Amino acid sequence: MDAPPLTEPVLLILLSLVGQPRHGYSILKDVEEMSDGRVTLSTGTLYGALRRLLEGGWIERFEEEDSSRGRQAYRLTPAGRRNLQLEAGRLKHLARIANLRVARKGI
Amino acid sequence: MLSLYRCLLYLYPAAYRYEYGEEMAGVFRAALSDIQSETWGKGLLPQAVFLLREFAGLFHGALAERLRAIATSHSWLSIPSRRFTMHSEFRFPKATPVLMAVILAGVILTIEKATAIQDSLPYSNPQLPPIHAEHFTFFPAMAVIFLSAYTVAVIGWAVLFALRRSGVHRLSEMSAAPPQN
Repeated sequence: MDAPPLTEPVLLILLSLVGQPRHGYSILKDVEEMSDGRVTLSTGTLYGALRRLLEGGWIERFEEEDSSRGRQAYRLTPAGRRNLQLEAGRLKHLARIANLRVARKGI
Repeated sequence: MLSLYRCLLYLYPAAYRYEYGEEMAGVFRAALSDIQSETWGKGLLPQAVFLLREFAGLFHGALAERLRAIATSHSWLSIPSRRFTMHSEFRFPKATPVLMAVILAGVILTIEKATAIQDSLPYSNPQLPPIHAEHFTFFPAMAVIFLSAYTVAVIGWAVLFALRRSGVHRLSEMSAAPPQN
């Protein structure tokens, strides 16, 4: 998968997996927390995004060892981490340009 | 509510449902339980909003997955052998749009020809008002009627196909079948 600009929900999903692997519900709550309740994912949206990220090789799925119910969890792959860094760089560049332009126009 | 959610999961392609269905139902159950405890005594609105968001997300996700399944289906690219039969595999009859175009072209030519013949006939009844307005209304009206009919037929076919693909028809078979030991 190339690294096209990510949508905000997808970016937040990836960011929630940076520190630790998470299962579906944990991702849902973390995304809500990170965005201060602005982005609330439905399960349909979450799993659609997870499926695309899995297919693209950005994340991987595994069975949690400490779970008695064999719950599935997700974690970033090295490729996913690299793409996320590229995306962070792109956003940083964009923010810098935006700040420069806004300052120049005196808005 | 969980049962309804599980039923709606049948809107997804079978492979997707097999892979993520149980997990999605588990997350929905946890989220529902959370929202019920968080909004206890605050009325039904927060729960209604939650359910609306969930079901809308489900419909949107199912539609996206269905379209993706169609786009990646090999039968879409190859010419199917049994085009007009409705099987579990996706077989869109490619002849249909061609046939539609041919019929529509035939209708247009016929109307044009009839109009030309009508124009060439001597107008012998001065008591009746002229009917030239018909030239401007007849063709668009016929085109709209035919296009509407085809649109309805295509939508009907798509609904039947979606129901067939969702496996809803198998539910009755499942309940009727004796348990296998």
